[in-house]
Amino acid sequence: MRWRRALGALVAAALLAAAGAGLARSAGGADGQDPVRAVAAGLRCPACEGESVADSRSPIAAAMRQAVADQVAQGRDAEEIRRWFVERYGREVLADAPGPAGPLLWAVPALALLGAGYAALRTLRPRAASAAPVPRREQPAGDGRPAADGTTPTGRGTRRAWQACSVGVVALVASVAVAAGRLDRPGARPEPADPVTVAVGLARDLEEQQRYDAAARMYEEALRDRPDDAIRLRLAFALLRAGDSAGAEESARAVLARAPDSPDGLLVLGLAQRDRRSPEAAATLRRFLALAPQHPAAAEIRRLVAAAG
Amino acid sequence: MLGDLGTASLAAGLLCATLTALLWLRVALFAAPARPARLATAATLGAAAAACALLEAALLGHDFGVTFVAENGGRHVPVYYTVTSLWAALDGSLLLWLLVLAGYAALLARRRRYPARLHAYAMAVVSTLTVFFFALSAFAANPFRPVSPVPADGPGPNPLLQQHPAMGLHPPLLYAGYLGLAVPFAFALAAPLAGPQGRDWLRAARPWALAAWAALTAGIGLGAWWSYAVLGWGGYWAWDPVENASLLPWLTATAFLHTATRRGTGRAGWNLVLACASFVLVLFGTFLTRSGAVSSVHAFTDSPLGPMLLGFVLLAVVAATLLAGRRVPEPPRRAGPAADPGRGAPALSRGTAVLVNGVLLVTIAAVVLIGTVFPLLSGPLGGVRASVGPPYYERTAVPLAVAVLLVMGTLPAVTARAGGLRRLAVPGGVALTTVAAVGLLSRPGAAALTAFGAAAFVLTGVAAELAERLRRDRGTAATGHRRRSPGRFAGLVAHAGIAVVAVGVAGSAAYGRDAERVVRTGETLRVPGASARLVGVDRSADAGTMTVRARLRLTGAGGERTVAPALRYHPGRDATVTVPAIRTGPLRDTYVTLLAVAPDGGSATVRLAVNPLVGLLWAGGALTAAGGLVAAVGVTRPRRRPAAPATSEPVAAETRSEPGPAETRSEPGPAGTRSEPVAGAAG
Repeated sequence: MRWRRALGALVAAALLAAAGAGLARSAGGADGQDPVRAVAAGLRCPACEGESVADSRSPIAAAMRQAVADQVAQGRDAEEIRRWFVERYGREVLADAPGPAGPLLWAVPALALLGAGYAALRTLRPRAASAAPVPRREQPAGDGRPAADGTTPTGRGTRRAWQACSVGVVALVASVAVAAGRLDRPGARPEPADPVTVAVGLARDLEEQQRYDAAARMYEEALRDRPDDAIRLRLAFALLRAGDSAGAEESARAVLARAPDSPDGLLVLGLAQRDRRSPEAAATLRRFLALAPQHPAAAEIRRLVAAAG
Repeated sequence: MLGDLGTASLAAGLLCATLTALLWLRVALFAAPARPARLATAATLGAAAAACALLEAALLGHDFGVTFVAENGGRHVPVYYTVTSLWAALDGSLLLWLLVLAGYAALLARRRRYPARLHAYAMAVVSTLTVFFFALSAFAANPFRPVSPVPADGPGPNPLLQQHPAMGLHPPLLYAGYLGLAVPFAFALAAPLAGPQGRDWLRAARPWALAAWAALTAGIGLGAWWSYAVLGWGGYWAWDPVENASLLPWLTATAFLHTATRRGTGRAGWNLVLACASFVLVLFGTFLTRSGAVSSVHAFTDSPLGPMLLGFVLLAVVAATLLAGRRVPEPPRRAGPAADPGRGAPALSRGTAVLVNGVLLVTIAAVVLIGTVFPLLSGPLGGVRASVGPPYYERTAVPLAVAVLLVMGTLPAVTARAGGLRRLAVPGGVALTTVAAVGLLSRPGAAALTAFGAAAFVLTGVAAELAERLRRDRGTAATGHRRRSPGRFAGLVAHAGIAVVAVGVAGSAAYGRDAERVVRTGETLRVPGASARLVGVDRSADAGTMTVRARLRLTGAGGERTVAPALRYHPGRDATVTVPAIRTGPLRDTYVTLLAVAPDGGSATVRLAVNPLVGLLWAGGALTAAGGLVAAVGVTRPRRRPAAPATSEPVAAETRSEPGPAETRSEPGPAGTRSEPVAGAAG
């Protein structure tokens, strides 16, 4: 029998060693982990309800994933990318930003483990069968102490319990009725990170990378949440650079309808008209020059107008 | 007209419910006859059913003079989703909640074999719950409020809720699970009040807990499948507050089921706390998700009910604390292998194993709870309203869940009469072999690898135990031993289901691959094992929606075919829903999502993913729920036909003076929580 036991021990040792080797191989992290996904999972999507950037289907999240992918392609590591996002959009952009309450995340489960463990240990130790009932200052309602034979005496205590309970049930209904009249529907809570700010920031990044199409889509996204003319002008510029002069003209006209003397609006409109070979282009650009002679783009426009003669 | 009738039915329900609570209280306190109380209970159910029926009629009849219909109905909505839109928003879902709760009350009222006072007190508790929710519905969330002027059409329910047929099953199942836990809660509160009659409250509560647990398991599993099929990112669990709210009571109820047996002598306080905690967590989850306190992708409603729900949660906690403080009379100890009056349970015994797992499950629940409420705490404590993401749960809940699996795997050892540890040799060997083979052939990451090993341990142990029990049956058939309840193998089935879920979770997280980018028409997107070529983009519009489809030629393991993931825009709600195209295979799904389409239709942003082993998730969830259901049936229904000619004794738990194996061994398994990162690799 001894050789059988030895054989068993040998097999067990071999299995343990092999399993250990398998685990050790995996300890370095799984194959095929997508670094973009790993970073995106740690970022909170600003435009959605409690979803991470990795999981959200919103355009903002898609643009943020793209921003992560670009930086991964540039060889930056996860920590650098996270820092980059925090610098731009604040700590709220991180999905895991516990702050000062962080220790709770570990303390509460640890306490639960200790408390439940203690309670479980106590149940394993049999108690004396005749432990005295714990005296309570406040006896809960319905304290109809049964007599020894199991019947209920309708004593004064029982009556009082009955009265207290009926009052309690009616009070429950009354308190709901009273509270219901005083409560309003809650308003929208402030978003953890302002989606418009994030969208505009992302759009600017896209413009810097000369991806004007995507930038324009991001500005449109921001406009849906906040119809702001400054954003609309940026959209018009992005559309112009993306080659969509009709769209740019439309956006610029929408701004000019509200602010007829907006220099940037006139600038985009003029350039868009020029792209479309519209005869009004020169007039629009001259008006722009008259309104904003100090504009950074003014010198360039003067050249254009002069060339067009 | 319908609106007035509906308001009247809610008022009648409130009156009936109040009357019911008071009548049952009279039965409990003065031993009054129970018949009037039973009638009032039935009347309450009638009022709840009438309210639901009237709101359904208003929805189907497009009666836009009713607030709920004006906000959630629409002429363009298909009939099925019109019916299910009853629970597509808070006010209507509260009616379904009431219907289920009143249904449980009526079922519980009909049972006559419980000790009279215990039964009456339990009914008083359930009726009080009904009173509160009727009051909530009538005063604060009346769906029948009139609208003026009456709109001509409505926006329809939330677009996410009219995408998938599971909408008709998932919420009712969850409600059946949540509210079923109210019955064990009621018995737990009634036990200290009922004096000596409260001794056997566990025996009364356990079948209800089993049935509720099975419904809750099925509901959670179905919800996972639904979010996988609809949300478009291929995940089934995101540690979202609403998902967590369903997981919390499931965890504590699982722990309760395992310790709430007659063998649990000495655990009265422990069981009482778990039974109370399960339902308090249901109420708390309702508060969290219905008050808009935490933001969630599932929070289909914002309501003013938060403070009231929170008040009621506190009331329930206070009541439970006060009552649990009184000594619960315990059933007399049986002499037996596991409950020896002189000693505690031996170190290696079923009693110890379920307690260890109970502690672990409670700890997981604490992790999930603090993670869920953290946004509420972090604001006041430190300025920034921060929430915790999946990484936190991966670091905490996942290791605990693997530990739960390992303790589950000791089942063959703790049920053995002798030589327990030796029975773990084969499962242990299989587990180590699995870890070695999988770990040397691929690199799934440490967490997933451990989960594979633990699942193999559990599955092999279950198989060994099954073989052992069948062998023992053959041996005892001749002697007519009482060992043939339908719930006999239920626990093993549920354990196997949990292990299968664990494999699915670990496998899909470790081996899933995805790619996402902009592809032009004719270009191909590739991941290992599949590729998709964009053929073209179509646009179409039909009643109430505008749809953009991308046609892709998908090449993968199952040959070539064309799939068409879509984006569906609902102007009524100004919302866009992704409609992924999923190709289900035996071992893996290919999952294609359309994220965006260029205005000119020449290119589209597409995500292509290969999700291996996700089928195991649904299969395992179904197995687990089936195990729970069989166990519930097994302990509630006396068997009519003896399985063997020699056995003729009924085996229903309630009719036995002593628990047999049906009651002590047919328990649904502990939680292998679906606790891995949903999409994205573990570790």
